[in-house]
Amino acid sequence: MDLDFMASTMLTLVAALPMTLALFSLSVIFGGLLALLVVWMRVGGNPVARGFAKGYIFIFRGSPLLIQMFLVFYGLGQFGFIRYSVLWPALREPFVCAVLSLSLCTAGYTAEIFRFGLRSIPAREIEAARAVGMSGFLLTRRILAPIAFRNALPAYSTEVMMMVKSTALASLVTVWEVTGVAQRLIAQTYRTMEVFLCAAAIYLILNFLILQLMAFLEYRLSPHRRAAPLFPAAQQ
Amino acid sequence: MASAPHLSSAPRLSVRNITKSFGTHQVLRGISLDAHDGDVISLLGASGSGKSTFLRCINMLEIADAGEIVVDGETIAMTQRGGRMVPADRGQVDRMRSELGMVFQSFNLWSHMTILENIIEGPVHVLKRPRAECIAEAEALLEKVGIAGKRHAYPAHLSGGQQQRAAIARSLAMKPKVMLFDEPTSALDPELVGEVLRVMRALAEEGMTMLVVTHEMSFARTVSNRVIFMKSGEIDCDGAPDTVFADGASPAFRQFIGNFGG
Amino acid sequence: MTGASGSVKEGIPGMIILQTIGFGPTGWGGLLLVATLMTLCVTAAALFIGMVFGTLIAWAKLSGSRIARAFGSAYTTVFRGVPELLIIYLVYFGGSSLVTAAGSALGYQGFLGLPSFVAGALAVGIISGAYQAEVYRGAFLAIPRGELEAAQAIGMHRTLRFRRIIAPQVLRFAIPGIGNVWQLSLKDSALVSVTGLADLMRTSQIAAGSTRQHFLFFIVGGCLYLVLTSLSDRVFNGAERRANRSMPAGIGQA
Repeated sequence: MDLDFMASTMLTLVAALPMTLALFSLSVIFGGLLALLVVWMRVGGNPVARGFAKGYIFIFRGSPLLIQMFLVFYGLGQFGFIRYSVLWPALREPFVCAVLSLSLCTAGYTAEIFRFGLRSIPAREIEAARAVGMSGFLLTRRILAPIAFRNALPAYSTEVMMMVKSTALASLVTVWEVTGVAQRLIAQTYRTMEVFLCAAAIYLILNFLILQLMAFLEYRLSPHRRAAPLFPAAQQ
Repeated sequence: MASAPHLSSAPRLSVRNITKSFGTHQVLRGISLDAHDGDVISLLGASGSGKSTFLRCINMLEIADAGEIVVDGETIAMTQRGGRMVPADRGQVDRMRSELGMVFQSFNLWSHMTILENIIEGPVHVLKRPRAECIAEAEALLEKVGIAGKRHAYPAHLSGGQQQRAAIARSLAMKPKVMLFDEPTSALDPELVGEVLRVMRALAEEGMTMLVVTHEMSFARTVSNRVIFMKSGEIDCDGAPDTVFADGASPAFRQFIGNFGG
Repeated sequence: MTGASGSVKEGIPGMIILQTIGFGPTGWGGLLLVATLMTLCVTAAALFIGMVFGTLIAWAKLSGSRIARAFGSAYTTVFRGVPELLIIYLVYFGGSSLVTAAGSALGYQGFLGLPSFVAGALAVGIISGAYQAEVYRGAFLAIPRGELEAAQAIGMHRTLRFRRIIAPQVLRFAIPGIGNVWQLSLKDSALVSVTGLADLMRTSQIAAGSTRQHFLFFIVGGCLYLVLTSLSDRVFNGAERRANRSMPAGIGQA
């Protein structure tokens, strides 16, 4: 194996890493916010909102991300009212389209994950909160959301890892992130294995770091699941 | 050995000097035992005394560190590999196991098969006997253990007592030379224990050779012809129930049965 | 019809839509249907390839050998952690250069491509194998140890035990997991379109490009994917119910 070639490949690929990270972090943030909205509609009392949320989850989890991305990238420009709207300068950008479709898609999966987190809350803990007079937003903020998020965290970690991989699809709408650059290098050099190994290493390290972060978050959020301290006095 | 009634005949099962350790903990410290035709031997002992491990060593679910197992005059060949004893011939072990019936504490019926399928599995696939013949025998066995109506049910749909009776029928279908029972009633609700003990008593009366690890004192006293009490991996006392349960038995055994209020 | 051509750009009348996606001489309906079948075939081939890989890897991960376990973990980590698109490139370009090398060894000059169906099924199969390995491993660990001991105690040798006790139960416990992997592969198979295979994704793209009706055809393609995923959901739910008939009521027979 040619080490010089590997090193220069690595440098070229790492240069595209900020793009991958930007796609990833923006779509995790927007997707997460959108998921909150969808799950709120899904578990709320309004039947129209519930139906819409169900349909949303069904569509975005049931079809491939690539077709969703192409629909946003190629499809939206077909409509005059979009082409002449104030949003068009943004929607014309491949990067915006990629983030938009990544966010829309992950929101569907994340909403389901959050919903299972909510369902795992013991009814007696909600009753206890109501008994002290909590309701509505206060109940959600102090009791429901923290427990649900903690319970949903393992599944959410998996979804976040899937998102790292999904950013690769942005290369198919001409956003030059790591996989896209790798494909270009393969087409230029025909040294598939070397380029693959470099790109794979980047993704695996990225995954590892995210996993560590998630594990740390899980640890911080679950003091109640750890063994009781041996010497309570020593903590004071 | 004073109580063994068949000194003239060769033993059906003979175990010599079995030792077994898990890590640094020595569970069996050299156990020997002969079971002759028709013997019903109850193995008693506190939990941790090694009686279940002993039973599991006999049909090689655990491999003993040293010692010898002889079934019907045939010694299981062992060999050293990587500093551990392993069976020299897997085929011999499988054949020997098919001659020893094992009944487990937690029944261990195969959950994806009906009761009838559980019973004919061994005869059809291990002994390779004709299926129709095996089904006929299986139905007779189900009749005998009293669950003929459940033959097409799955194990999960049966009570614990019914499952254990099915498991006994599964062992009997192999026509074993010796039956090993590993605490067969310990996982059962008290009201279900009786139905399983009745089946075992009937088997004993038919002359089946049985080795029973149990906590049922009345079974040990009235059904078995020999009682062995184990303590920290050794045989503490051994003899006919009348002598062992008599006042002259070892202090450890007296304390043990004292805990049962007997 | 003259008026229709003008309105094509801004949302098209119903008749035209029906003609464009219908089965007539100017319609794409037939091609889309064939493409849907192609997507099904590629996914099915990938599922079977993944079953073979998955079984081997699960076996390696459960084995006593440290090297086999390390290899198994490396496989699942890499092929679940690296973008699917990258793996498709690896198989397609890597496979093609292997085929070309083999060709030139046999005296054939020039580039030989790996057939895109083979490349696609293999790539998605390798990924699916990594997920299936975890499914099978979990399913094996879900078999109560006592049932395996009972099989040993009755004198079953290793292969008989695998065939009669382990395999049927692993398959039963694995059905929901295999269902999930199938859904995943169905969506991954859309990426195979980059190799030029005329699957549902690729055909929607071609139709969209040549009619300039991007929105319409990606919606139609997306709907066909939704039909596939929801139908397969039903099939796997049915299979799960059937396989769980030996479970206590209430757990399997909801």
